[in-house]
Amino acid sequence: MAESRGGGCFPPMDLMRSEPMQLVQVIVPMESAHLTVSYLGDLGLVQFKDLNSEKSPFQRTYAAQIKRCGEMARKIRFFKDQMSKAGVSPKEILDKEIDIDLDDVEVKLGELEAELVEINANSDKLQRSYNELVEYKLVLEKAGEFFASAHRSATTQQSEIESQQAGEDALEAPLLQEEKSIDPTKQVKLGFLTGLVPREKSMVFERILFRATRGNIFIRQSVIEESVVDPNSGEKAEKNVFVVFYSGERAKSKILKICEAFGANRYPFSEELGRQAQMMTEVTGRLAELKTTIGAGLDQRKILLETIGDRFEQWNLKVRKEKAIYHTLNMLSLDVTKKCLVGEGWSPVFAATEIQDALQRAAVDSNSQVGSIFQVLRTKEMPPTFFRTNKFTTAFQEIVDAYGVAKYQEANPSVFTIVTFPFLFAVMFGDWGHGICLLLATMYLILREKKLSSQKLGDIMEMAFGGRYVIFMMSLFSIYTGLIYNEFFSIPYPLFASSAYECRDASCSEATTIGLIKTRDTYPFGVDPVWHGTRSELPFLNSLKMKMSILLGVAQMNLGIIMSFFNAKFFKSAVNVWFQFVPQMIFLNCLFGYLSVLIIIKWCTGSQADLYHVMIYMFLSPMDDLGENQLFPNQKIVQLTFLFLALVSVPWMLLPKPFILKKQHEARHQGQSYAQLDETDESLQVETNGGSHGHEEFEFSEIFVHQLIHTIEFVLGAVSNTASYLRLWALSLAHSELSSVFYEKVLLMAWGFNNIFILIVGILVFIFATVGVLLVMETLSAFLHALRLHWVEYQNKFYEGDGYKFAPFTFVLVGNEDE
Amino acid sequence: MAFLVTSLIFALVGIIASICTRICFNKGPSTNLLHLTLVITATVCCWMMWAIVYIAQMKPLIVPILSEVE
Repeated sequence: MAESRGGGCFPPMDLMRSEPMQLVQVIVPMESAHLTVSYLGDLGLVQFKDLNSEKSPFQRTYAAQIKRCGEMARKIRFFKDQMSKAGVSPKEILDKEIDIDLDDVEVKLGELEAELVEINANSDKLQRSYNELVEYKLVLEKAGEFFASAHRSATTQQSEIESQQAGEDALEAPLLQEEKSIDPTKQVKLGFLTGLVPREKSMVFERILFRATRGNIFIRQSVIEESVVDPNSGEKAEKNVFVVFYSGERAKSKILKICEAFGANRYPFSEELGRQAQMMTEVTGRLAELKTTIGAGLDQRKILLETIGDRFEQWNLKVRKEKAIYHTLNMLSLDVTKKCLVGEGWSPVFAATEIQDALQRAAVDSNSQVGSIFQVLRTKEMPPTFFRTNKFTTAFQEIVDAYGVAKYQEANPSVFTIVTFPFLFAVMFGDWGHGICLLLATMYLILREKKLSSQKLGDIMEMAFGGRYVIFMMSLFSIYTGLIYNEFFSIPYPLFASSAYECRDASCSEATTIGLIKTRDTYPFGVDPVWHGTRSELPFLNSLKMKMSILLGVAQMNLGIIMSFFNAKFFKSAVNVWFQFVPQMIFLNCLFGYLSVLIIIKWCTGSQADLYHVMIYMFLSPMDDLGENQLFPNQKIVQLTFLFLALVSVPWMLLPKPFILKKQHEARHQGQSYAQLDETDESLQVETNGGSHGHEEFEFSEIFVHQLIHTIEFVLGAVSNTASYLRLWALSLAHSELSSVFYEKVLLMAWGFNNIFILIVGILVFIFATVGVLLVMETLSAFLHALRLHWVEYQNKFYEGDGYKFAPFTFVLVGNEDE
Repeated sequence: MAFLVTSLIFALVGIIASICTRICFNKGPSTNLLHLTLVITATVCCWMMWAIVYIAQMKPLIVPILSEVE
């Protein structure tokens, strides 16, 4: 595996290729294992391989410890829940806190949980009694009213009857009156029950009682205005107070059962006024007591939660860290003597000294007699890809990684993407007014970087913040291309010189029919300002932008093919240079490079040749005379040569490579009929997983088909990819047209009315339309298309992208998880 | 003539930018090479775009036809 930094004949360049990685093996004695993993986690430069992948989670060495950490994590989640319910927020951790022991944390968590659970249970109980008493009080009030009013009407009725001595009214008189007026010997013993029933069930309740007792009950309900908290459910409900009068034991038991079924709470009530008043004062007193007790309970709970809140973040982090450490320890395998753990992992070559340092520190700190062993293993496995990026290059690297992570040590497209991506975006966005708006927005993000990076932002803001340097580059290039296209919110300005065009004669009579002529020198920087608003603006600009797109596209595709040359040189594959790079360059440049040259010649000479015609007839009838489409002498011969070269290059990139690869494979494996034994020189019996195959398979038909597909993709892709670059023209046209419409149809029209109110409305609409459509939607659109041009048209010339990313064991991510 | 002069100006700006980057952000040979590559790429891209637009207007085949003035 070529592990040198500078491959081939080029000096090494940062970010161009993955850092050289090596497979390292670490042997640690048991007592220093925990500390070793902890220090390696702080270092964050080792990606451990799981050596126990066949074992289930329960069979692993440290399963018990993980369970312990899981329990503690559960308790912490419970605390967090309780704290958020009570509105207590955990204190932020300071940087340097004293290190705490996991056992202490466990004990403390257990104690606090028990306390909190107890306080909660007590609170619940007290709250329930409180609610019951509230209900009882209501019952006392309402039933008391009812009895009192019945008593009053009974006494009035009695006096009436005594005065009237008539019997017809007896039916309308309340029952109580009968109880009081009839002879004591003839008294029917009535019992009564009082309680509360939910309002929505009250009618059904009455009806069922009536039916169950065959109409032998008398029920009275009275509505409670405010809602009451039900003791059982703890929620507010609308209830009615009811009084049921019945006679007989059977009726009583039926009523009791029905009350239970309806969830109607019953409370005792006595008829005598004196007892009623006594109960009332008692209940009121108890309610006040309970209220203070509940208040005290809540205060105590709050204090407890605040004490938890003080150390919460610290414990949280510690538990998560420990869990991560134990997970990692589970990946190390136990060696035969059971006295040490063996771990394998990938790490960058430059980190070797740091890792050895950490191992030594861990051995010293854990007071072990034996130090840890660190050695490098040789393997044929493909290492993970690791690029050292800073805050500027990270975003660009992520853009490339989103398509596919680079294979180990292949050329990294993000080197050139850092410049070409914002540039192609700007070609599609070109307006220096909009560019300045984008620049201001992104400067805000960059200047408040430190503050915003520690905050928790929403999803969209997170993405915009992460890409702030990309947007910064995009805005700078947009200002440049805006100056070239000469568009400031679609208005052109003669910033660099005056326009090159003038009327043909002094009266300017033909300005609107035949047009102006070019009298002075070409406008020195960008598009001439006279074009905006003319009738021939679109034909001119379209021709310019389409040809520009082709030129830029051919340039970027050539860059892609040259990157494949860098790769071939680095991996020392001569076959790739001669039988892939060379024919590809010849094919692309003989056809589309030639087209680019024709475009430039046409512009320089001002010829009226039709380039479509030239290109198409180059293929259809190459022997024909060119006539008026001749751009330079001997064009026919040149075209025939290029056509011949292009045709020859197709079999050149298709046929030789598979045969050469086959010959190379045979030469390599001459006389090898068995696999080599593993070469590991440790004294411990450890297998190196994977990478130990000594005999590679070589399927000729597969290689051939692969090469065929590659060739067809390139040849057809040359045409389609070149045409795909025309989206640079399409989007820039869309942008300038939208911008022009908003300016003319909104702002100028609002100005034309000469009314201040309409003007203000017009300005507002213009601002919203510009920000919403042009700054947000067009930015996203151009971003997406520039991305596509990079991912497909540029990268398919050289990028394989089938590697995997280096994911080291580090504690930085542990703090950011929200489990 | 003007084309060559402006192209030279672009080249000059590119060289000055590379030197400034080397002075302000000197961080070791491989990093310096990366910075140089980026500056040169940016200069080439910007020059290409300017050159295309300039050459296209040197000998125009279409002339501006003003629209009706209201």
